Amino acid sequence: MSEQPESLRLGEVIETSTVGFVAECDELHCLPPLGSLVSVNGPEGDVIYAVVTYGETGSIDPGRRVVRRGSADLRDQAIYQQNPELRHVLRSVFSAAAIAYRRDDRLSYLLPPLPPPLHYSVERVPTTEAREVTDQPRYFPILAQYRGEIPADQLLAAHARHLYELRGHDRDWLERAARELARIFKHDYDRLVPLLEALDPDLA
Amino acid sequence: MTLDVAAIAEELRRLAADTASWEHAGWSALHAAVRDLDETDLRQRLRTAKTSWLLAQAIQGYRGVSPCPPQPERYTVVAADGSVLNPDRHSPLRYYVINLGIVVLAYGDAPQARMESRARLYAGEEDLYLSDLSRRVPISGTVLGFKRAVEELRQAAELARSLDPPVVVLQDGTLILWGLESQPEFVVNWALSPFLEALAALRDARVPVAGFISYPGSSDVMNVMRVSVCDYPLRGMPVNCDHCRARILTEGHRPACDILPDVSDRVLFEQVFKLTPGERSPVYASASTILERYPEADRIHFFYLHTGAEVARVEIPAWVARDQAMLDLLHAAIIDQCSRARGYPLALQEAHELAVIRAEERREVEILVDRMLAQHGVVLRRSAKERSKRGRYV
Repeated sequence: MSEQPESLRLGEVIETSTVGFVAECDELHCLPPLGSLVSVNGPEGDVIYAVVTYGETGSIDPGRRVVRRGSADLRDQAIYQQNPELRHVLRSVFSAAAIAYRRDDRLSYLLPPLPPPLHYSVERVPTTEAREVTDQPRYFPILAQYRGEIPADQLLAAHARHLYELRGHDRDWLERAARELARIFKHDYDRLVPLLEALDPDLA
Repeated sequence: MTLDVAAIAEELRRLAADTASWEHAGWSALHAAVRDLDETDLRQRLRTAKTSWLLAQAIQGYRGVSPCPPQPERYTVVAADGSVLNPDRHSPLRYYVINLGIVVLAYGDAPQARMESRARLYAGEEDLYLSDLSRRVPISGTVLGFKRAVEELRQAAELARSLDPPVVVLQDGTLILWGLESQPEFVVNWALSPFLEALAALRDARVPVAGFISYPGSSDVMNVMRVSVCDYPLRGMPVNCDHCRARILTEGHRPACDILPDVSDRVLFEQVFKLTPGERSPVYASASTILERYPEADRIHFFYLHTGAEVARVEIPAWVARDQAMLDLLHAAIIDQCSRARGYPLALQEAHELAVIRAEERREVEILVDRMLAQHGVVLRRSAKERSKRGRYV
Protein backbone atom coordinates (compact mmCIF):
# COMPACT_ATOMS: atom_id res chain seq x y z
CA MET A 1 0.00 0.00 0.00
CA SER A 2 1.27 3.48 -0.82
CA GLU A 3 2.17 5.69 2.11
CA GLN A 4 0.81 8.79 0.39
CA PRO A 5 -2.17 10.38 2.11
CA GLU A 6 -4.33 9.85 -0.96
CA SER A 7 -3.19 6.59 -2.50
CA LEU A 8 -2.76 6.43 -6.26
CA ARG A 9 -2.82 2.65 -6.23
CA LEU A 10 -5.49 1.08 -8.42
CA GLY A 11 -4.54 -2.58 -8.25
CA GLU A 12 -1.90 -5.20 -8.83
CA VAL A 13 -0.31 -6.85 -11.89
CA ILE A 14 -1.67 -10.38 -12.43
CA GLU A 15 -0.41 -10.96 -15.99
CA THR A 16 2.55 -9.31 -17.62
CA SER A 17 4.44 -9.09 -20.91
CA THR A 18 6.57 -6.73 -22.96
CA VAL A 19 3.57 -5.10 -24.62
CA GLY A 20 1.53 -4.56 -21.47
CA PHE A 21 -0.13 -6.13 -18.47
CA VAL A 22 -3.38 -7.10 -16.77
CA ALA A 23 -4.14 -5.83 -13.28
CA GLU A 24 -6.72 -6.79 -10.69
CA CYS A 25 -8.38 -3.84 -8.98
CA ASP A 26 -8.22 -3.39 -5.22
CA GLU A 27 -11.89 -2.44 -5.15
CA LEU A 28 -14.69 -4.00 -7.13
CA HIS A 29 -15.79 -1.74 -10.03
CA CYS A 30 -13.07 0.85 -9.30
CA LEU A 31 -11.56 0.58 -12.76
CA PRO A 32 -9.49 3.30 -14.45
CA PRO A 33 -11.36 4.76 -17.45
CA LEU A 34 -10.67 3.48 -20.95
CA GLY A 35 -7.79 5.41 -22.52
CA SER A 36 -6.48 6.80 -19.22
CA LEU A 37 -2.83 6.68 -18.22
CA VAL A 38 -1.49 4.34 -15.53
CA SER A 39 1.99 3.52 -14.33
CA VAL A 40 3.85 0.65 -12.74
CA ASN A 41 7.44 0.23 -11.62
CA GLY A 42 9.73 -1.93 -13.68
CA PRO A 43 12.13 -4.46 -12.14
CA GLU A 44 15.08 -2.09 -12.35
CA GLY A 45 13.48 1.04 -10.97
CA ASP A 46 12.06 2.26 -14.29
CA VAL A 47 8.57 3.69 -14.36
CA ILE A 48 6.48 2.15 -17.12
CA TYR A 49 3.58 4.17 -18.52
CA ALA A 50 0.63 2.41 -20.07
CA VAL A 51 -2.77 3.30 -21.55
CA VAL A 52 -5.83 1.42 -20.29
CA THR A 53 -7.22 -0.69 -23.15
CA TYR A 54 -9.90 -2.85 -21.53
CA GLY A 55 -11.85 -3.48 -18.33
CA GLU A 56 -13.94 -6.39 -17.07
CA THR A 57 -15.74 -7.51 -13.92
CA GLY A 58 -16.55 -11.15 -13.31
CA SER A 59 -16.28 -14.17 -11.04
CA ILE A 60 -12.96 -14.74 -9.29
CA ASP A 61 -13.29 -18.44 -9.97
CA PRO A 62 -13.60 -19.19 -13.69
CA GLY A 63 -15.65 -22.26 -12.86
CA ARG A 64 -18.41 -20.28 -11.15
CA ARG A 65 -20.87 -18.37 -13.26
CA VAL A 66 -22.53 -15.13 -12.28
CA VAL A 67 -26.28 -15.52 -11.78
CA ARG A 68 -29.10 -13.05 -11.34
CA ARG A 69 -29.42 -11.82 -7.75
CA GLY A 70 -32.04 -9.11 -8.01
CA SER A 71 -35.65 -8.59 -8.97
CA ALA A 72 -38.08 -5.76 -9.60
CA ASP A 73 -37.77 -4.85 -5.90
CA LEU A 74 -34.04 -5.30 -5.49
CA ARG A 75 -31.79 -3.64 -8.03
CA ASP A 76 -28.41 -2.16 -8.77
CA GLN A 77 -26.41 -0.97 -5.74
CA ALA A 78 -28.95 -2.44 -3.28
CA ILE A 79 -28.00 -5.91 -4.48
CA TYR A 80 -24.47 -5.39 -3.16
CA GLN A 81 -25.90 -4.24 0.18
CA GLN A 82 -28.02 -7.35 0.44
CA ASN A 83 -25.27 -9.73 -0.61
CA PRO A 84 -22.07 -8.74 1.17
CA GLU A 85 -20.18 -11.79 -0.08
CA LEU A 86 -20.25 -10.45 -3.68
CA ARG A 87 -17.21 -8.25 -3.07
CA HIS A 88 -15.24 -11.37 -2.27
CA VAL A 89 -16.35 -13.64 -5.08
CA LEU A 90 -16.24 -11.07 -7.92
CA ARG A 91 -13.32 -9.05 -9.16
CA SER A 92 -12.59 -6.25 -11.64
CA VAL A 93 -9.57 -6.48 -13.92
CA PHE A 94 -8.18 -4.16 -16.58
CA SER A 95 -5.59 -4.37 -19.34
CA ALA A 96 -3.10 -1.68 -20.26
CA ALA A 97 -0.73 -1.28 -23.24
CA ALA A 98 2.78 0.05 -22.54
CA ILE A 99 3.62 3.25 -24.40
CA ALA A 100 6.70 4.71 -22.69
CA TYR A 101 9.10 4.34 -19.81
CA ARG A 102 11.17 6.67 -17.70
CA ARG A 103 14.70 5.74 -16.64
CA ASP A 104 17.00 8.11 -14.75
CA ASP A 105 14.63 10.98 -15.49
CA ARG A 106 14.68 10.35 -19.24
CA LEU A 107 11.42 9.57 -20.94
CA SER A 108 11.54 7.16 -23.91
CA TYR A 109 8.54 6.52 -26.15
CA LEU A 110 9.42 2.88 -26.65
CA LEU A 111 8.21 -0.42 -25.27
CA PRO A 112 9.95 -1.04 -21.92
CA PRO A 113 13.04 -3.26 -22.04
CA LEU A 114 11.60 -5.50 -19.30
CA PRO A 115 7.96 -6.18 -18.44
CA PRO A 116 6.74 -5.12 -14.98
CA PRO A 117 6.93 -7.90 -12.37
CA LEU A 118 3.81 -9.76 -11.26
CA HIS A 119 2.14 -8.39 -8.13
CA TYR A 120 3.64 -4.93 -8.48
CA SER A 121 1.26 -2.00 -7.83
CA VAL A 122 -0.43 -0.23 -10.72
CA GLU A 123 -1.12 3.43 -10.04
CA ARG A 124 -3.12 6.25 -11.50
CA VAL A 125 -0.78 8.86 -13.04
CA PRO A 126 -1.35 12.27 -11.39
CA THR A 127 -2.45 15.05 -13.75
CA THR A 128 0.82 17.03 -13.88
CA GLU A 129 2.84 13.95 -14.67
CA ALA A 130 0.26 12.78 -17.23
CA ARG A 131 0.43 16.13 -18.99
CA GLU A 132 4.19 15.87 -19.19
CA VAL A 133 4.24 12.31 -20.53
CA THR A 134 1.54 12.93 -23.13
CA ASP A 135 2.64 16.40 -24.20
CA GLN A 136 3.98 15.10 -27.50
CA PRO A 137 1.81 12.43 -29.16
CA ARG A 138 4.91 10.47 -30.24
CA TYR A 139 3.55 7.25 -28.81
CA PHE A 140 0.36 7.28 -30.91
CA PRO A 141 1.85 4.82 -33.43
CA ILE A 142 2.19 2.24 -30.63
CA LEU A 143 -1.52 2.63 -29.87
CA ALA A 144 -2.41 2.56 -33.56
CA GLN A 145 -0.74 -0.86 -33.81
CA TYR A 146 -2.62 -2.19 -30.79
CA ARG A 147 -4.27 -5.58 -31.32
CA GLY A 148 -6.48 -6.62 -28.47
CA GLU A 149 -9.98 -6.72 -27.12
CA ILE A 150 -11.10 -3.42 -28.71
CA PRO A 151 -10.39 -1.86 -32.13
CA ALA A 152 -7.31 0.41 -32.14
CA ASP A 153 -9.41 3.32 -33.42
CA GLN A 154 -11.68 3.12 -30.40
CA LEU A 155 -8.64 3.13 -28.16
CA LEU A 156 -7.10 6.17 -29.82
CA ALA A 157 -10.36 8.09 -29.70
CA ALA A 158 -10.99 7.23 -26.04
CA HIS A 159 -7.42 8.13 -25.11
CA ALA A 160 -7.43 11.44 -26.94
CA ARG A 161 -10.81 12.48 -25.50
CA HIS A 162 -9.68 11.53 -22.00
CA LEU A 163 -6.50 13.60 -22.29
CA TYR A 164 -8.31 16.56 -23.81
CA GLU A 165 -10.49 16.65 -20.68
CA LEU A 166 -7.55 16.04 -18.35
CA ARG A 167 -5.63 18.89 -19.97
CA GLY A 168 -8.52 21.33 -19.45
CA HIS A 169 -9.66 21.40 -23.08
CA ASP A 170 -6.15 22.17 -24.36
CA ARG A 171 -6.97 23.07 -27.96
CA ASP A 172 -3.29 23.22 -29.01
CA TRP A 173 -2.73 19.72 -27.79
CA LEU A 174 -5.81 18.45 -29.57
CA GLU A 175 -4.54 19.87 -32.84
CA ARG A 176 -1.12 18.27 -32.28
CA ALA A 177 -2.90 14.98 -31.65
CA ALA A 178 -5.02 15.40 -34.80
CA ARG A 179 -1.93 16.12 -36.92
CA GLU A 180 -0.21 13.00 -35.58
CA LEU A 181 -3.27 10.88 -36.38
CA ALA A 182 -3.38 12.37 -39.87
CA ARG A 183 0.27 11.44 -40.34
CA ILE A 184 -0.30 7.85 -39.15
CA PHE A 185 -3.43 7.29 -41.21
CA LYS A 186 -2.51 9.36 -44.27
CA HIS A 187 -3.03 6.35 -46.53
CA ASP A 188 -6.35 5.48 -44.97
CA TYR A 189 -8.82 8.38 -45.13
CA ASP A 190 -11.71 6.04 -44.41
CA ARG A 191 -10.25 5.42 -40.98
CA LEU A 192 -8.92 8.90 -40.34
CA VAL A 193 -12.08 10.92 -40.90
CA PRO A 194 -14.33 9.08 -38.43
CA LEU A 195 -11.49 9.14 -35.91
CA LEU A 196 -11.09 12.91 -36.15
CA GLU A 197 -14.84 13.35 -35.97
CA ALA A 198 -14.91 11.30 -32.80
CA LEU A 199 -12.35 13.65 -31.25
CA ASP A 200 -14.11 16.82 -32.34
CA PRO A 201 -16.40 17.34 -35.34
CA ASP A 202 -14.61 20.62 -36.08
CA LEU A 203 -11.36 18.82 -36.76
CA ALA A 204 -12.58 16.62 -39.60
CA MET B 1 -16.75 -45.54 -24.32
CA THR B 2 -16.16 -48.64 -22.22
CA LEU B 3 -19.56 -49.15 -20.57
CA ASP B 4 -22.12 -50.96 -22.72
CA VAL B 5 -25.18 -49.03 -21.59
CA ALA B 6 -27.49 -50.90 -23.97
CA ALA B 7 -26.71 -54.14 -22.15
CA ILE B 8 -28.16 -52.88 -18.87
CA ALA B 9 -30.89 -50.58 -20.21
CA GLU B 10 -33.62 -53.24 -20.35
CA GLU B 11 -33.00 -54.32 -16.73
CA LEU B 12 -33.05 -50.69 -15.61
CA ARG B 13 -36.34 -50.12 -17.43
CA ARG B 14 -37.90 -53.12 -15.68
CA LEU B 15 -36.55 -52.04 -12.28
CA ALA B 16 -37.98 -48.53 -12.70
CA ALA B 17 -41.41 -49.85 -13.68
CA ASP B 18 -41.52 -52.33 -10.75
CA THR B 19 -40.45 -49.73 -8.20
CA ALA B 20 -42.97 -47.19 -9.46
CA SER B 21 -45.95 -49.57 -9.35
CA TRP B 22 -45.15 -50.92 -5.89
CA GLU B 23 -44.63 -47.48 -4.43
CA HIS B 24 -48.01 -46.39 -5.79
CA ALA B 25 -49.80 -49.06 -3.72
CA GLY B 26 -47.94 -48.10 -0.57
CA TRP B 27 -48.86 -44.42 -0.80
CA SER B 28 -52.50 -44.74 0.12
CA ALA B 29 -51.52 -46.91 3.11
CA LEU B 30 -49.03 -44.26 4.23
CA HIS B 31 -51.50 -41.39 3.82
CA ALA B 32 -54.01 -43.37 5.88
CA ALA B 33 -51.44 -44.18 8.56
CA VAL B 34 -50.55 -40.50 8.98
CA ARG B 35 -54.16 -39.32 8.84
CA ASP B 36 -55.37 -41.90 11.37
CA LEU B 37 -52.38 -41.65 13.72
CA ASP B 38 -53.42 -42.09 17.34
CA GLU B 39 -50.65 -40.37 19.27
CA THR B 40 -51.68 -41.79 22.67
CA ASP B 41 -51.60 -45.34 21.33
CA LEU B 42 -48.38 -44.57 19.49
CA ARG B 43 -46.64 -43.33 22.63
CA GLN B 44 -47.65 -46.55 24.38
CA ARG B 45 -46.25 -48.66 21.53
CA LEU B 46 -43.00 -46.70 21.45
CA ARG B 47 -42.46 -47.17 25.18
CA THR B 48 -42.17 -50.93 24.77
CA ALA B 49 -41.03 -51.26 21.16
CA LYS B 50 -37.94 -53.30 20.37
CA THR B 51 -36.47 -52.28 17.04
CA SER B 52 -32.96 -51.99 15.70
CA TRP B 53 -33.91 -48.87 13.78
CA LEU B 54 -33.90 -45.36 15.09
CA LEU B 55 -37.25 -44.05 16.21
CA ALA B 56 -37.89 -40.32 16.26
CA GLN B 57 -39.12 -39.06 19.63
CA ALA B 58 -41.65 -36.26 19.32
CA ILE B 59 -41.39 -33.46 21.83
CA GLN B 60 -44.67 -31.85 20.83
CA GLY B 61 -46.58 -34.35 18.74
CA TYR B 62 -45.65 -36.10 15.52
CA ARG B 63 -47.76 -34.07 13.15
CA GLY B 64 -48.28 -30.42 12.36
CA VAL B 65 -46.17 -28.10 10.26
CA SER B 66 -44.80 -24.68 11.15
CA PRO B 67 -44.61 -21.84 8.62
CA CYS B 68 -41.47 -19.77 8.23
CA PRO B 69 -41.28 -17.04 10.89
CA PRO B 70 -40.79 -13.44 9.73
CA GLN B 71 -37.28 -12.58 8.57
CA PRO B 72 -35.06 -11.00 11.22
CA GLU B 73 -34.04 -7.45 10.33
CA ARG B 74 -30.46 -8.27 10.94
CA TYR B 75 -28.47 -11.42 11.65
CA THR B 76 -25.01 -12.85 11.14
CA VAL B 77 -24.35 -16.37 9.92
CA VAL B 78 -21.06 -18.21 10.53
CA ALA B 79 -20.23 -21.34 8.55
CA ALA B 80 -17.13 -23.49 8.39
CA ASP B 81 -16.41 -26.35 6.02
CA GLY B 82 -13.26 -28.39 5.78
CA SER B 83 -11.50 -30.63 3.34
CA VAL B 84 -8.52 -32.89 3.75
CA LEU B 85 -5.44 -33.35 1.64
CA ASN B 86 -3.59 -36.60 2.21
CA PRO B 87 -0.08 -37.25 1.03
CA ASP B 88 0.53 -39.40 -1.99
CA ARG B 89 0.94 -42.98 -0.74
CA HIS B 90 4.32 -43.10 -2.47
CA SER B 91 5.60 -40.22 -0.42
CA PRO B 92 7.94 -40.91 2.50
CA LEU B 93 6.46 -37.83 4.20
CA ARG B 94 3.71 -38.43 6.73
CA TYR B 95 1.26 -35.55 7.09
CA TYR B 96 -2.21 -34.36 6.23
CA VAL B 97 -3.60 -30.93 5.59
CA ILE B 98 -6.97 -29.74 6.81
CA ASN B 99 -8.17 -26.79 4.77
CA LEU B 100 -11.00 -24.89 6.43
CA GLY B 101 -13.22 -22.46 4.61
CA ILE B 102 -14.67 -19.92 7.03
CA VAL B 103 -17.44 -17.53 6.13
CA VAL B 104 -19.06 -14.80 8.23
CA LEU B 105 -21.96 -13.00 6.56
CA ALA B 106 -23.68 -10.12 8.35
CA TYR B 107 -27.00 -8.86 7.01
CA GLY B 108 -28.95 -5.77 7.95
CA ASP B 109 -28.06 -2.09 7.79
CA ALA B 110 -24.33 -2.71 8.07
CA PRO B 111 -23.80 -5.70 5.76
CA GLN B 112 -20.39 -7.29 5.79
CA ALA B 113 -18.68 -10.41 4.61
CA ARG B 114 -15.58 -12.13 5.85
CA MET B 115 -14.31 -15.07 3.84
CA GLU B 116 -11.09 -16.93 4.42
CA SER B 117 -9.32 -20.22 3.96
CA ARG B 118 -7.19 -21.58 6.77
CA ALA B 119 -4.85 -24.38 5.89
CA ARG B 120 -2.97 -26.30 8.54
CA LEU B 121 -0.48 -29.09 8.15
CA TYR B 122 -0.42 -31.84 10.76
CA ALA B 123 2.70 -33.97 10.99
CA GLY B 124 3.58 -34.63 14.61
CA GLU B 125 3.25 -38.04 16.25
CA GLU B 126 0.21 -36.88 18.24
CA ASP B 127 -1.41 -35.64 15.00
CA LEU B 128 -0.82 -38.87 13.11
CA TYR B 129 -1.62 -41.48 15.74
CA LEU B 130 -3.92 -41.92 18.67
CA SER B 131 -2.58 -44.16 21.39
CA ASP B 132 -3.81 -45.59 24.57
CA LEU B 133 -1.98 -48.10 26.77
CA SER B 134 -2.28 -51.02 24.39
CA ARG B 135 -3.20 -49.68 20.94
CA ARG B 136 -2.15 -47.19 18.32
CA VAL B 137 -4.79 -46.02 15.86
CA PRO B 138 -3.74 -44.01 12.78
CA ILE B 139 -5.55 -40.73 12.33
CA SER B 140 -6.79 -41.28 8.79
CA GLY B 141 -10.00 -42.13 6.97
CA THR B 142 -13.05 -42.04 9.28
CA VAL B 143 -11.04 -41.01 12.33
CA LEU B 144 -9.54 -38.08 10.41
CA GLY B 145 -13.09 -37.22 9.34
CA PHE B 146 -13.99 -36.72 13.03
CA LYS B 147 -11.03 -34.44 13.52
CA ARG B 148 -12.15 -32.38 10.53
CA ALA B 149 -15.73 -32.15 11.83
CA VAL B 150 -14.47 -31.10 15.26
CA GLU B 151 -12.19 -28.43 13.77
CA GLU B 152 -15.06 -27.03 11.71
CA LEU B 153 -17.30 -26.68 14.75
CA ARG B 154 -14.52 -25.43 17.02
CA GLN B 155 -13.43 -22.64 14.69
CA ALA B 156 -16.97 -21.59 13.86
CA ALA B 157 -17.82 -21.50 17.58
CA GLU B 158 -14.75 -19.42 18.42
CA LEU B 159 -15.62 -16.86 15.75
CA ALA B 160 -19.33 -16.75 16.52
CA ARG B 161 -18.82 -15.97 20.20
CA SER B 162 -17.07 -12.70 19.40
CA LEU B 163 -19.84 -11.35 17.15
CA ASP B 164 -22.84 -9.15 17.97
CA PRO B 165 -26.10 -11.04 18.25
CA PRO B 166 -28.19 -12.31 16.60
CA VAL B 167 -25.73 -14.91 15.30
CA VAL B 168 -26.37 -18.40 13.95
CA VAL B 169 -23.80 -21.09 13.17
CA LEU B 170 -24.37 -23.55 10.32
CA GLN B 171 -22.51 -26.83 9.87
CA ASP B 172 -22.57 -28.90 6.73
CA GLY B 173 -23.76 -32.34 7.75
CA THR B 174 -24.76 -34.00 10.96
CA LEU B 175 -24.11 -32.96 14.57
CA ILE B 176 -24.46 -36.59 15.62
CA LEU B 177 -21.06 -38.24 15.52
CA TRP B 178 -22.55 -41.54 14.32
CA GLY B 179 -19.36 -43.31 13.36
CA LEU B 180 -18.02 -43.05 16.90
CA GLU B 181 -20.40 -45.77 18.06
CA SER B 182 -18.11 -48.46 16.66
CA GLN B 183 -14.82 -46.94 17.75
CA PRO B 184 -12.75 -47.89 20.81
CA GLU B 185 -13.38 -45.84 23.94
CA PHE B 186 -10.19 -43.75 23.78
CA VAL B 187 -11.03 -42.67 20.20
CA VAL B 188 -14.55 -41.73 21.26
CA ASN B 189 -13.18 -39.57 24.09
CA TRP B 190 -10.61 -37.97 21.82
CA ALA B 191 -13.21 -36.93 19.24
CA LEU B 192 -16.14 -36.20 21.50
CA SER B 193 -14.40 -34.08 24.10
CA PRO B 194 -13.50 -31.06 21.92
CA PHE B 195 -16.75 -31.41 19.94
CA LEU B 196 -18.88 -31.24 23.08
CA GLU B 197 -16.75 -28.38 24.37
CA ALA B 198 -17.54 -26.38 21.23
CA LEU B 199 -21.26 -27.18 21.53
CA ALA B 200 -21.22 -26.12 25.19
CA ALA B 201 -19.42 -22.88 24.31
CA LEU B 202 -22.13 -22.06 21.80
CA ARG B 203 -24.78 -22.85 24.39
CA ASP B 204 -23.09 -20.59 26.95
CA ALA B 205 -22.91 -17.79 24.41
CA ARG B 206 -26.51 -18.47 23.40
CA VAL B 207 -25.59 -18.83 19.74
CA PRO B 208 -27.86 -21.36 18.00
CA VAL B 209 -26.06 -23.94 15.88
CA ALA B 210 -27.57 -26.22 13.26
CA GLY B 211 -26.31 -29.08 11.12
CA PHE B 212 -27.79 -28.87 7.62
CA ILE B 213 -28.21 -32.12 5.70
CA SER B 214 -29.18 -31.90 2.06
CA TYR B 215 -31.03 -34.85 0.49
CA PRO B 216 -31.19 -36.70 3.84
CA GLY B 217 -31.51 -40.47 3.77
CA SER B 218 -32.75 -40.83 7.36
CA SER B 219 -36.07 -42.48 8.21
CA ASP B 220 -36.50 -41.92 11.96
CA VAL B 221 -40.08 -40.70 11.47
CA MET B 222 -40.98 -43.31 8.83
CA ASN B 223 -39.85 -45.95 11.31
CA VAL B 224 -42.32 -44.51 13.79
CA MET B 225 -45.07 -44.83 11.17
CA ARG B 226 -44.12 -48.48 10.82
CA VAL B 227 -44.51 -48.93 14.56
CA SER B 228 -47.92 -47.31 14.33
CA VAL B 229 -49.21 -49.89 11.82
CA CYS B 230 -47.57 -52.91 13.49
CA ASP B 231 -49.97 -55.77 14.24
CA TYR B 232 -48.12 -57.14 17.30
CA PRO B 233 -49.91 -54.83 19.77
CA LEU B 234 -53.24 -56.06 18.33
CA ARG B 235 -52.18 -59.45 19.65
CA GLY B 236 -51.18 -58.07 23.03
CA MET B 237 -47.42 -58.11 22.29
CA PRO B 238 -44.97 -55.22 22.23
CA VAL B 239 -43.64 -54.19 18.82
CA ASN B 240 -40.62 -56.40 18.13
CA CYS B 241 -39.03 -55.99 14.70
CA ASP B 242 -36.26 -58.57 15.18
CA HIS B 243 -38.81 -61.22 16.15
CA CYS B 244 -41.06 -60.28 13.22
CA ARG B 245 -38.30 -60.23 10.63
CA ALA B 246 -36.96 -63.58 11.80
CA ARG B 247 -40.38 -65.12 11.03
CA ILE B 248 -40.11 -64.07 7.36
CA LEU B 249 -37.68 -66.91 6.73
CA THR B 250 -39.01 -69.46 9.20
CA GLU B 251 -42.74 -69.02 8.53
CA GLY B 252 -42.98 -67.05 5.30
CA HIS B 253 -44.51 -64.30 7.45
CA ARG B 254 -45.25 -60.91 5.90
CA PRO B 255 -44.59 -58.00 8.30
CA ALA B 256 -47.62 -55.73 8.74
CA CYS B 257 -45.52 -52.66 8.06
CA ASP B 258 -44.68 -53.92 4.57
CA ILE B 259 -47.84 -52.17 3.36
CA LEU B 260 -45.93 -48.94 3.79
CA PRO B 261 -43.52 -47.91 1.03
CA ASP B 262 -39.82 -48.11 1.71
CA VAL B 263 -39.20 -44.39 1.59
CA SER B 264 -37.15 -41.94 3.63
CA ASP B 265 -38.44 -39.11 5.83
CA ARG B 266 -37.59 -36.64 3.10
CA VAL B 267 -40.23 -38.24 0.87
CA LEU B 268 -42.71 -38.57 3.76
CA PHE B 269 -42.58 -34.88 4.52
CA GLU B 270 -42.67 -33.81 0.91
CA GLN B 271 -45.43 -36.11 -0.37
CA VAL B 272 -47.57 -36.92 2.66
CA PHE B 273 -47.10 -34.06 5.11
CA LYS B 274 -46.84 -31.90 2.01
CA LEU B 275 -44.44 -29.32 3.39
CA THR B 276 -44.47 -26.19 1.28
CA PRO B 277 -41.38 -23.98 0.75
CA GLY B 278 -40.40 -22.40 4.05
CA GLU B 279 -42.37 -24.81 6.25
CA ARG B 280 -40.83 -27.16 8.76
CA SER B 281 -41.96 -30.35 10.45
CA PRO B 282 -42.33 -30.70 14.22
CA VAL B 283 -39.08 -31.06 16.15
CA TYR B 284 -38.09 -34.60 17.11
CA ALA B 285 -35.33 -35.97 19.34
CA SER B 286 -32.88 -38.46 17.87
CA ALA B 287 -32.50 -41.83 19.56
CA SER B 288 -28.94 -42.40 18.39
CA THR B 289 -26.98 -44.15 21.16
CA ILE B 290 -23.92 -41.91 20.83
CA LEU B 291 -26.10 -39.08 22.12
CA GLU B 292 -26.11 -40.70 25.55
CA ARG B 293 -22.58 -39.35 25.80
CA TYR B 294 -23.74 -35.78 25.11
CA PRO B 295 -24.83 -33.58 28.03
CA GLU B 296 -28.63 -33.52 28.21
CA ALA B 297 -28.89 -29.90 27.08
CA ASP B 298 -26.88 -30.64 23.92
CA ARG B 299 -28.58 -33.87 22.82
CA ILE B 300 -29.40 -33.58 19.18
CA HIS B 301 -32.91 -33.00 17.90
CA PHE B 302 -33.97 -32.49 14.31
CA PHE B 303 -36.68 -31.24 11.99
CA TYR B 304 -37.31 -31.40 8.28
CA LEU B 305 -37.44 -28.18 6.31
CA HIS B 306 -38.62 -27.37 2.80
CA THR B 307 -35.90 -25.11 1.44
CA GLY B 308 -37.69 -24.25 -1.76
CA ALA B 309 -35.66 -26.79 -3.69
CA GLU B 310 -35.89 -29.89 -1.48
CA VAL B 311 -36.75 -31.21 1.97
CA ALA B 312 -33.61 -31.04 4.07
CA ARG B 313 -32.90 -32.27 7.60
CA VAL B 314 -31.80 -29.70 10.16
CA GLU B 315 -30.18 -30.92 13.38
CA ILE B 316 -30.07 -28.80 16.54
CA PRO B 317 -29.03 -29.25 20.17
CA ALA B 318 -31.81 -29.72 22.74
CA TRP B 319 -31.43 -26.25 24.24
CA VAL B 320 -32.22 -24.67 20.82
CA ALA B 321 -35.17 -27.03 20.31
CA ARG B 322 -36.65 -25.85 23.61
CA ASP B 323 -36.17 -22.14 22.98
CA GLN B 324 -38.89 -20.90 20.61
CA ALA B 325 -37.09 -17.63 19.86
CA MET B 326 -33.84 -19.43 18.97
CA LEU B 327 -35.68 -22.01 16.92
CA ASP B 328 -37.54 -19.32 14.98
CA LEU B 329 -34.35 -17.34 14.36
CA LEU B 330 -32.61 -20.43 13.00
CA HIS B 331 -35.61 -21.42 10.89
CA ALA B 332 -35.91 -17.95 9.32
CA ALA B 333 -32.15 -17.57 8.84
CA ILE B 334 -31.81 -20.94 7.07
CA ILE B 335 -34.70 -20.11 4.75
CA ASP B 336 -33.15 -16.72 3.99
CA GLN B 337 -29.78 -18.37 3.29
CA CYS B 338 -31.44 -20.92 0.99
CA SER B 339 -33.24 -18.19 -0.92
CA ARG B 340 -29.86 -16.70 -1.80
CA ALA B 341 -28.31 -19.87 -3.21
CA ARG B 342 -31.11 -21.64 -5.03
CA GLY B 343 -32.18 -23.95 -2.23
CA TYR B 344 -28.92 -24.48 -0.31
CA PRO B 345 -27.62 -22.18 2.44
CA LEU B 346 -25.35 -19.60 0.84
CA ALA B 347 -22.91 -19.50 3.77
CA LEU B 348 -22.34 -23.26 3.49
CA GLN B 349 -21.93 -22.99 -0.27
CA GLU B 350 -19.28 -20.30 0.07
CA ALA B 351 -17.53 -22.11 2.93
CA HIS B 352 -17.36 -25.20 0.75
CA GLU B 353 -15.87 -23.23 -2.17
CA LEU B 354 -13.17 -21.91 0.16
CA ALA B 355 -12.44 -25.32 1.63
CA VAL B 356 -12.32 -27.47 -1.45
CA ILE B 357 -8.89 -28.54 -2.60
CA ARG B 358 -8.87 -28.82 -6.36
CA ALA B 359 -7.08 -31.49 -8.35
CA GLU B 360 -4.57 -28.93 -9.68
CA GLU B 361 -3.81 -27.82 -6.13
CA ARG B 362 -3.21 -31.39 -4.98
CA ARG B 363 -0.89 -31.81 -7.92
CA GLU B 364 0.85 -28.54 -6.99
CA VAL B 365 1.50 -29.82 -3.46
CA GLU B 366 2.82 -33.11 -4.84
CA ILE B 367 5.21 -31.25 -7.15
CA LEU B 368 6.34 -29.04 -4.30
CA VAL B 369 7.00 -32.04 -2.08
CA ASP B 370 8.88 -33.83 -4.89
CA ARG B 371 11.07 -30.78 -5.36
CA MET B 372 11.75 -30.36 -1.65
CA LEU B 373 12.68 -34.00 -1.26
CA ALA B 374 14.90 -33.81 -4.33
CA GLN B 375 16.77 -30.95 -2.70
CA HIS B 376 17.67 -33.38 0.05
CA GLY B 377 18.65 -36.06 -2.40
CA VAL B 378 15.49 -38.13 -2.04
CA VAL B 379 13.86 -39.09 -5.34
CA LEU B 380 10.34 -40.52 -5.34
CA ARG B 381 9.68 -43.62 -7.38
CA ARG B 382 6.05 -44.24 -8.10
CA SER B 383 4.57 -47.70 -8.50
CA ALA B 384 4.33 -49.16 -12.00
CA LYS B 385 0.51 -49.09 -11.74
CA GLU B 386 0.60 -45.40 -10.85
CA ARG B 387 2.91 -44.62 -13.76
CA SER B 388 0.63 -46.52 -16.10
CA LYS B 389 -2.37 -44.48 -14.93
CA ARG B 390 -0.53 -41.21 -15.27
CA GLY B 391 1.08 -41.95 -18.62
CA ARG B 392 -2.03 -43.46 -20.28
CA TYR B 393 -0.21 -44.48 -23.40
CA VAL B 394 -1.37 -46.96 -26.08
